[in-house]
Amino acid sequence: MVDNNQLREAVKKTISRDDVKYVVGYEKGTYGFQTTPCFAYKPEDADKFIFSPLCVHNLSVFPMLEEKPPLRKGEEPDKRKIGVVVKGCDSRAIVQILQEKGLDRDKVVIIGIPCTGVVDPKKLEKMFPGHIKNVEVKDDDDKFAVTVDGKTQKIQKSELIPDKCKTCEYPTPILYDILIGKEIKSNKNEDYKKVNEFEKKSLKDKWEYWEKQFDKCIRCYACRNACPLCYCKECMVDQLNPQWVRRSVNISENTAWNLLRAFHLAGRCIGCGQCERSCPMDIPLMELNKKIEKEIREMFEYEAGVNAEEKPLLAMFKPDDPEEFIL
Amino acid sequence: MGEKFEPNIIGFLCNWCSYAGADLAGTSRIQYPPNLKVIRVMCSGRVNPIFVINALQQGADGVLIGGCHPGDCHYERGNYLARRRMAVLKKLLEYTGIDPNRVRMTWVSAAEGVKFAEVVKEVTEDIRKLGPMQHFKRENKW
Repeated sequence: MVDNNQLREAVKKTISRDDVKYVVGYEKGTYGFQTTPCFAYKPEDADKFIFSPLCVHNLSVFPMLEEKPPLRKGEEPDKRKIGVVVKGCDSRAIVQILQEKGLDRDKVVIIGIPCTGVVDPKKLEKMFPGHIKNVEVKDDDDKFAVTVDGKTQKIQKSELIPDKCKTCEYPTPILYDILIGKEIKSNKNEDYKKVNEFEKKSLKDKWEYWEKQFDKCIRCYACRNACPLCYCKECMVDQLNPQWVRRSVNISENTAWNLLRAFHLAGRCIGCGQCERSCPMDIPLMELNKKIEKEIREMFEYEAGVNAEEKPLLAMFKPDDPEEFIL
Repeated sequence: MGEKFEPNIIGFLCNWCSYAGADLAGTSRIQYPPNLKVIRVMCSGRVNPIFVINALQQGADGVLIGGCHPGDCHYERGNYLARRRMAVLKKLLEYTGIDPNRVRMTWVSAAEGVKFAEVVKEVTEDIRKLGPMQHFKRENKW
């Protein structure tokens, strides 16, 4: 359980520094149970910051969204830092961005929160249909204390947490400047149960499943926009010349987009699950990401977002990489 | 209708080895199936997975990528990088139910005209067995 006062204190201290532009964190949302990302530009703003199991977003996307407008003559670029409130998985995204040199380490101030698992909003909505207003969720050891319309229920964590939290190996941020509360050690282990099971199916069954899933896609690109690692200045689907993926929504283009999105995150996806959470059509995108994650673990013994000093997976090689598929 | 299925294979051949190997196969008058349509690239490391998926979208039944033997790359490391990329891509295709044998990779040096002909024969036969690619072919109608 994270002490909100301690968090606010840390945010206040960070924003009071001269070299910090703003701090991104969570505040209570205006609609229903949701929390929203919020910004603190002044020390007073820190009072609205909260952390609860409803804080599902990955805020490490914000330093990458920073706009850098062209400077006027004689104008100095804004070199101030950005403060980010991160959970364990979010910090891995920052480590991965640092590894790719998308961001300088001295451009961010990381406020780390050891996280014991968040609530999957989709599961919560399913459990309390129509009751999504006035919901409060508190962390209570291995249970969530969910307060709906004034009544408190204790629900086992395993029923509400998203799949990513069930196998989370890094609950404590890997990289941080300030840590709120104590470090937590994880006893969970990534076993890729879902992936292993699906792999046993025949090619035909696999395609039948994915055809149905990709057919749902409306190509809103919410998965791309929510992803902390999709920060290309121009995404390949927005390119017009050459236009690799056409704008039309049909199975051909949808499959191409979903495969390419998954591939572009090969060796980079840190499994924060933002793509799946933000998907309005409930496509199980994390299954594709997890599959690639599993393969690169087996083939190249590599894990994304753990070591910022390492080289990116697809930018390095070993002479003895697997090549049994080569003729 | 009722015609025998002839696979359509796109070959991305590297300028320095595989393309020269194909050239040697030609000048040595070695017979090999005409199903391979060659696109010359400067290095197998140039082959973006987007090329492969785009080829499959636009009616190719298979894709063959040819590069130099490991250690022989003109750019020292391009073929190693391509190897990693294709290893991941093939696993991804298999997971989504597309036969990974539709995407093949080979090392052919400039001196291996015979090997090139054999590879093309093998790939063509494999893809002939797999049948036409119908999973996500692009429909050009408007």
